[in-house]
Amino acid sequence: MDNVGPPSSGPGRPQRSLTGIVVYCGSYRIQFIDVAIVMSRPPPDPLYILRGSGASVNTLHFSCGEDGPPLLYSGSGKGAIHVWNLTTRRAEHVLESHAGNSVIWLHTFKNSRSRFISQGRDMRVCMWEMSEDRSTVTDSLLTGSVGFCQCSLLETQPGAALLAHPTEHMEEVSVVEMRSWTPVCTLKPDSKLGMLMCMKMWQADSGPVLCAGYEDGSLVLWDVSHRRPLSCLKAHPEPVMCLDIDVCKQKGISGCSEKILQSWTLDNQQNLQMYDSVQMTNPGVSQLRVRADGKILATAGWDNSIRVFGWKKLKPLAVLQHHTDMVNSVAFSDHQDPPQRLLAAGSKDQRISVWSIYSQS
Amino acid sequence: MAEHQIEDPKIAFAYLRPSCVLLTKEPTTANVEALSGHLRSVSDGVLQQLQDYILFPLRFVLKIPGSKREGLIQAVMEAMTYVLENTCVQSWDSLRDLFSELCLCLCSPKDPGKPATTSEELKLAVLRCLDALIHSAYGDIVFKLYEPIMLPGLGAAVSLLLALAEHEKARGVQAASLKCLLSLFQQCNCEEEHIEPGQNERYLLGRALATFLPGISRALGHVISGDVRQGHAVTVKAMQVWYKAFGLVMADEQLQKTDSDEAAGDLGRVADLVVKRTPSWQKATSQRLAMVLQKIISCTSGHPHWRVRLELVNLSYFLLSQCSQSVGECVGPLLEALVGAVNDEEPEVKDRCSAALDEVAQKGQDFTDILSENLHSLVSSLPRVMRTSDDQRKLFVLNVFLGYLKILGPKVDAVLTSAVHLERISKALMQVMELDVTDVKIIEERTLKSSTDLRPDVHQIPSQRKYFLYFTDDKIFSALRKICRMLGYYGNLYLLVDRFMELYKESLVYRKQAALVLNEVIVGAAGIGVEMDSSRIDCSGKNQEDLKSSIMSIIEEYISLSNWHLPTVSEALEGKLEYMTPLVPNNLERNCLQLLPASKTPTLHQLNSNIWQICIQLEGIGGFALALGIDFRLLLMMSLYPVLEKAGDESLLVSQAAFSAMCDLCKACDYSSPKELVMKNSDYLLNDVSLNLARPSIHPHAPRVLAVMFTHSDASLLPLVADVVQDVLTALDLSYEQRTPQFCTVLHSLMKALVRWFPASTGCQKTPSKETQNKECVNLRQFLLDYKKQKELAEGIGVEEEDPKDLDVASPASDEDMDGPAEKRELPLHIQIAKDVMERCSHLLSDSNLRIRLKVLDILELCVCVLCEMEDELLPMVHRCWPALLHRLTNDDPLAVPRAFKVLCVLGELCGDFLRKRVSKEVLPRLTSSLKKQEEISARSGPVYTHTLAYKLQLAVLQGLGPLCVKLDLMEADLDRVIDACLPYLSCRQPIKLQEACLSVFRSLMDLDTDLCWFSLNELCCPVTYEPPHPHLLPVTLTGSDKPRNQFTDNVLKLLQEFDAPQEQDAT
Repeated sequence: MDNVGPPSSGPGRPQRSLTGIVVYCGSYRIQFIDVAIVMSRPPPDPLYILRGSGASVNTLHFSCGEDGPPLLYSGSGKGAIHVWNLTTRRAEHVLESHAGNSVIWLHTFKNSRSRFISQGRDMRVCMWEMSEDRSTVTDSLLTGSVGFCQCSLLETQPGAALLAHPTEHMEEVSVVEMRSWTPVCTLKPDSKLGMLMCMKMWQADSGPVLCAGYEDGSLVLWDVSHRRPLSCLKAHPEPVMCLDIDVCKQKGISGCSEKILQSWTLDNQQNLQMYDSVQMTNPGVSQLRVRADGKILATAGWDNSIRVFGWKKLKPLAVLQHHTDMVNSVAFSDHQDPPQRLLAAGSKDQRISVWSIYSQS
Repeated sequence: MAEHQIEDPKIAFAYLRPSCVLLTKEPTTANVEALSGHLRSVSDGVLQQLQDYILFPLRFVLKIPGSKREGLIQAVMEAMTYVLENTCVQSWDSLRDLFSELCLCLCSPKDPGKPATTSEELKLAVLRCLDALIHSAYGDIVFKLYEPIMLPGLGAAVSLLLALAEHEKARGVQAASLKCLLSLFQQCNCEEEHIEPGQNERYLLGRALATFLPGISRALGHVISGDVRQGHAVTVKAMQVWYKAFGLVMADEQLQKTDSDEAAGDLGRVADLVVKRTPSWQKATSQRLAMVLQKIISCTSGHPHWRVRLELVNLSYFLLSQCSQSVGECVGPLLEALVGAVNDEEPEVKDRCSAALDEVAQKGQDFTDILSENLHSLVSSLPRVMRTSDDQRKLFVLNVFLGYLKILGPKVDAVLTSAVHLERISKALMQVMELDVTDVKIIEERTLKSSTDLRPDVHQIPSQRKYFLYFTDDKIFSALRKICRMLGYYGNLYLLVDRFMELYKESLVYRKQAALVLNEVIVGAAGIGVEMDSSRIDCSGKNQEDLKSSIMSIIEEYISLSNWHLPTVSEALEGKLEYMTPLVPNNLERNCLQLLPASKTPTLHQLNSNIWQICIQLEGIGGFALALGIDFRLLLMMSLYPVLEKAGDESLLVSQAAFSAMCDLCKACDYSSPKELVMKNSDYLLNDVSLNLARPSIHPHAPRVLAVMFTHSDASLLPLVADVVQDVLTALDLSYEQRTPQFCTVLHSLMKALVRWFPASTGCQKTPSKETQNKECVNLRQFLLDYKKQKELAEGIGVEEEDPKDLDVASPASDEDMDGPAEKRELPLHIQIAKDVMERCSHLLSDSNLRIRLKVLDILELCVCVLCEMEDELLPMVHRCWPALLHRLTNDDPLAVPRAFKVLCVLGELCGDFLRKRVSKEVLPRLTSSLKKQEEISARSGPVYTHTLAYKLQLAVLQGLGPLCVKLDLMEADLDRVIDACLPYLSCRQPIKLQEACLSVFRSLMDLDTDLCWFSLNELCCPVTYEPPHPHLLPVTLTGSDKPRNQFTDNVLKLLQEFDAPQEQDAT
């Protein structure tokens, strides 16, 4: 069947093509975006694949700031942290960490490239200092959490940051000041919501707020400075596996072990309200990420595929298939230049796939 | 003679006086000679004092009216020359008088405008004297000669000398008159001391000579373009005179101010002779001169004598540096002449020329317009020249082209920004560099060695010779390459790359040439292979980043689907596999495929053209790497895979080009060998491989690349490659039908690599326990007991005993089953891979394609070798493969059976116990029966039989049977069957090789069961009669003992002797 032609009516909405025509003119590289409407164009191949992590890839984090080559941090199931140079596409550093326990979360700091933070299943959060030849743990914090919940970092001002981490009490969140590990507060729901599953902290007008997902499928919005819940929403019947929030649009989304993705909004009184939902073909999401420009959403599926949705209406855009096992993590790069922005996905099949999609705005 | 010259003027005067007086009275030759003899004894200083006195009688002789004898005049001339050479003329009057008297001597008495018809010797003497006169004149008086008042006299002299130079037959006279002219113009370059004319004097000279310039040009033009036989010296001198005069008259510094009228006041008629060098005069003159110049250049630029060509270079340089502004018309031709000599075969000319060019270019005179105009017309005519003229001429024109670029230097950039120029140059290059694609040999040359062969000596691959439509000489191609490099070096890189990429995309006709040009432009831009002075460094400091981005865009274009995946072999030649486009899974692929010309049957020319295009692009990638150096490492991630892909191309040219590109990559990126290149960048390669494996219809060569990688890497690759192997297996499962052959190749190389990376440590563990056979002395009683027991076993109890053994064999498998669910042990990666591969083999063993079956058998053998260290894994897999393997052994093509039998032998070696029963039940009967069946045929066959498959099968079976029996430790009944089947092959009627193979079977069997062998052999033929040691014992009668000598005797005897040999050894 010839698929090129005027769009027919019906649910199959036209997609913008993912490629374009590139023209070189002098020193300028001009890319004409192919605006021709092509239906059900096949999804692209990954730009490249990073191999050699040696174990399942649990978490990914980009650091593509101004100076130096763009980097991608990955944490493996065997405690190895790889720092990939995306220019050479090779691992620049491989750090053994967390006593061989799975690394579940990695984050860098805006102001310094040499430091980053990692969270492992050995119940520890470690601060790293990287130099040319060696990298060392400068500081660490015993969280006591045995669960899978990832920490959340909020840089309030250069040099100062708040870290929200799970504790040995399953349902509790503790927020600490990073520099001195001074506890700021602990947030514990009054009612029985079960284990803490995932969370994200950000700076609202009124002060830092934190959204947490619990085992019974509810989301709670916490006011960190006043240590009180702002609102609660029972978003899923199953445990909340992951969530992400677009702070600008005051809109968030969460996923669970079922086929549904649930999006919700925050109104002016900081109340969580159901907003929209989208069905997927296969159940289970490990991670969700909204791109910084608020255009698209990517999910890491248990069915080995990465799904891309339009963030505005949760319109399914593409299913990226490359992995041969569950996808554990997705991440969008923080390149300054939008066309360079990348999507990376880490999977249990030990590969990290890097994609360049919808990078032309 | 001049040892004691007279220093005292008085004595000298007294000494010379008599001969002077005598000469005045009697002007005879003898007297003149006497005087000149005396002159030699007087010192120069005295001579100077007495100059007038001495010259007087000589001049007197000349003034005597009436005809004189030539000898006398010549003697006078020689004497005067001597005087003048050794003294100076200090007074203007005597200079003027002498000058006019000498001129009179030259001209004919009847017609003063024409030279006299005197002898050569006389003319020479006069000319020499005149020359001496001018040389000896004092600087403050000599320039009076050029004042307007003297113009008539000077004019007469000049025209006389010119006439001599033009019409005289004798070379010496011509040369002397030209030399005289040079001195007369104060431009003499002989060894004597000369007056250096100052600015005013030069002005005077220039103004005077302007009057004669038309005459000088006409006459000398004649001389220069005259017969070559006149000798190079005359031509060279004439050129010198001409361009010195030209330079004086038209000198820029003189023409800046217009000649004033100041002197012309009281000259009367002479004033008409004076030329006023006004701008209009200047213009008219320079036009006329340009014509003369053209004529001169045309007849001297190709002059056979190098001195003439050297002089042309001097001429061009002199005029360019003296009067380039005043004679605009001439600059073009002059530059052309200069540039054309830049590659002269005579080194002196070449050196002088490049020095001159450099000076011209360095002076920064603004010739850009003229040069670019010249360049334009040259380039416009280039295609025509290339089509019509001979190689010599083509080379010359290209050298001129190159020369222009060289002088333009950084200004090339400015020239190229003119769209017209760029268009002309690029189109001309496209037309000139058209390749000849008609040669059949291009496509005929096929790769013989496998793609996996990356030997280190690939460095020795010679660069490929290209065949061009319009020229054959390699020098021409190298000139063209230099031109492109020069363009790249000086031109704007982006502009050039853009332009040629445009041409590359524009038409198939231009594609190859455009790629050639692009390759050279980039290399040139990096400053490689560009000839230049170190003094003029980096006027075009090409940015490494610019270079890199240009290279990236070019490579992107080169390796894009439609430019890289071109068919190089016609489908008729190629097996259907390559281009039998399978179901295209999605639109994108279908669209891409439509771009490929593969859908039509390409003609021979198209194929050739494709081959060249790929070669050129490969060369380009190599060149780019060299241009970029170590920075190219980053680009390896996009370019290495395509290159490696082509290294295995069927076309020899392409694969060679790819190999040399790889060598360039190694050199540029600092890898010691292609092998290291592949190994160090295996991650980049794997990336492409795994992506492309998923799209076999567009990228059919991913398996090939993977195979190359396996061949060259070591075990460290395994963790990286493990998931790609899974990809391969998945791809194999998915596109089972179309791609099997390629995947088999990959799996084969993978397994070969695994065997190499993990050599089996258990290789020699299974040496059968031989000591049991060699018991020195057998206790007879024990033997009989054993025998009885054996017999009983054979009759009934044996069956029972086999059962527990069978259980033993099965037990490991069941153990594994029990272990399995309890805890899944993680297998070493290579074992896991081998297992996965072997599983595929068990399916593919029954493929309908014979070649695949053969390949799979090979793979199977390797799998078994890898798995042998883990029997727990091996046996279940063998079990799974067995039915298919059995089928190959018993029911397949005669080609497959020997291969399968080989696998069986390997299996027998590694898991003999496991297979014993299966073999004896399922395989042996078939093998033995087929051996028996074939025996009669082979015994009766002729020598041709050894070429048949049946024979090969027999041979393979016989060769393998012996070791197999040993390894499987076969039982009596089976041995009987084997012996039964083999005995006929001991016949001397069988082909000799079969006999030998059969002998080897028996030798192996001897190890297993000596007695049985001995007995069976003796049944056939028994050489010894066995006398019973005691009459009570029955005589031993063996069936063979009373047989006459027969066909088996020889071989049986041979074997029996071998029985004896070890026994004898034991006995001793």
